[in-house]
Amino acid sequence: MPLCILRNIRKSFFIGQEEVEILKGISLAIDEGEFVALMGPSGSGKTTLMNIIGCLDVPSSGEYIFAGQKVSGLTDDELSIFRNEHMGFVFQNFHLLPYATVLENVLLPTLYVSRKKDSEPLKRARDLLKLVGLEDRERFKPSQLSGGQQQRVAIARALINDPRLILADEPTGQLDSSTAREIMDLLQSMGHGGKTVLVITHDWETAAYANRKIHMQDGLVSG
Amino acid sequence: MRRITLNLSIALRSLYSFKLRTSLAVLGVLLGTLSLIVVSNLTGSLVKQGEKELEKLGKNLLLVQSGTVIRFGMRTRLISTADTLKIADVQAILDHSPHVSMAAPSSTRTFPIRYENIVLRNTVVTGTSSNFTHVRNFQVERGRFFTEEEDRQLERVVVLGSRVAQRLFGAQDPLGKHILIWRVPCQVIGVMEEKGVDISNVDQDDQVFVPMGTFLRRFVNQQHVANIYVQTMESDSMMVAKSQIEAILRDRHNIQPGQQDDFTVIDSRDLLELKTQTTSMITLLGRIAATISFLIGAMGILSIMILIVNERKGEIGIRRAVGSRRRDIVLQFLLESSFIALMGGMVGVLLGLATSLIIFYFSGLPLSISPLALLVAFCSSVLVGILAGLYPSQKATTIQPINILNS
Repeated sequence: MPLCILRNIRKSFFIGQEEVEILKGISLAIDEGEFVALMGPSGSGKTTLMNIIGCLDVPSSGEYIFAGQKVSGLTDDELSIFRNEHMGFVFQNFHLLPYATVLENVLLPTLYVSRKKDSEPLKRARDLLKLVGLEDRERFKPSQLSGGQQQRVAIARALINDPRLILADEPTGQLDSSTAREIMDLLQSMGHGGKTVLVITHDWETAAYANRKIHMQDGLVSG
Repeated sequence: MRRITLNLSIALRSLYSFKLRTSLAVLGVLLGTLSLIVVSNLTGSLVKQGEKELEKLGKNLLLVQSGTVIRFGMRTRLISTADTLKIADVQAILDHSPHVSMAAPSSTRTFPIRYENIVLRNTVVTGTSSNFTHVRNFQVERGRFFTEEEDRQLERVVVLGSRVAQRLFGAQDPLGKHILIWRVPCQVIGVMEEKGVDISNVDQDDQVFVPMGTFLRRFVNQQHVANIYVQTMESDSMMVAKSQIEAILRDRHNIQPGQQDDFTVIDSRDLLELKTQTTSMITLLGRIAATISFLIGAMGILSIMILIVNERKGEIGIRRAVGSRRRDIVLQFLLESSFIALMGGMVGVLLGLATSLIIFYFSGLPLSISPLALLVAFCSSVLVGILAGLYPSQKATTIQPINILNS
């Protein structure tokens, strides 16, 4: 059974008075454990689609089912809990809290865990920092780290609540090619660990890590 | 608990990056708390001092004044005199009012007094009865007060106020010496303790006391007295005693219903009330100052929180993405603003206490620390923090993560 099922998803925005349709009826399914690259020129709707899959945004129409649950009807609070439990985000600009330490940044999502079973978050955070090779940097501020190191912190943060889906929007966009390869290797190892990974990229080298590529063109999946 | 400390440590770091603005906001709340506490303590102290002065005047004291006295706002005026208050009225009050425990008549007039070649012009000479020291709670320090027998025998004895004794005799022992009051030689038998200025603004140390009989016959040649100090059994019975005395004297002075009294009974609390009016003015001004300071503090917090929310849009977006609900964001910013207020509150309480102590130390006012004021000041500071945080935190929830994260 697929992890994500999208049926005829449409999304439009108002730019001034004019309604612009960004997504024009997208239907697709992503299986558990897949490593998917979402490709396409800018303006094709990749990011909007990822926002909807990541429950950061809701579609104007269409149906989205994640892990058997219909997401479309959830309230804002329920979406927050949903993101907290199931989604891990990695961004092009890392988006770490500048005044918090590396360890605090990794722990951030655990602040909002509603389940009682949240055990030993500190140990998990330290294990994850070890996994991404930053165990000796936990008291550093993000500004004291290189771009690649910051992105590793972001990946550790994305993994802290053991999500089922990792969404990465141009994760290597700010990095040089050797660092980019390290980050992609890390994401790929997550995939091998059983996580479903969705990467937005327009870089073929990055997309080569994926075992499935989805091309978007003008608000539609082109193949 | 772990979440609170984690949140707090992140919040502290972010507040630290706005050092100046944070400290200004803290300062506003601090000043508010400080002035509230100082004013409360000072007011408490003034009330306490009033009570002390009242006790100095004599406990549960009523003053029967010959003639009609009315009060114009802050001061009392004698508007008509009378010569109807007599020594016999003292006994009548004692006999007919069961609430009265003691009564002492008194009259004053100024005379020149002299010892050897030192002359004090215009010294207040008070004629009174032997129980004056008990009624007025005013004791003899050296020697003794005159007796009932001496009063009856019109003895020429005098008890000096401490300042008069100092002026006339300096370091000499005045006991047994003779001084000249007007033209009457009197033997000094005692010196009063130092009492200072009492609530009616009369310097108690700058007068001399002679027996009432001596005073009336030998000094003023009158039958009537100026006033009678009356002490009641309990403070509760003062009002009853007051109306009883009025009834007794009206009867004795043959005053018909509807006719104006030729005497006035003044409650010692009436005198205190005058003081209280001044005190409440100070209280009011202080409260206004405290409120303004709190308002400034609140505005400080409001502006720094709005600033912080604007500066931290990115953080809000990230937090929303990783699963914080709107209410978590509201809570977070309310926590931060209350934290600022709490800091100001705590430091303000400490400084307020210190300032009060310093003021008490240098002004000689009685020490009075109001725990209630501490509590109120502290709670108001927290309340200010929460109220000032409401709008910015509400504003923070309108931030949409996608607008922040994808830009």
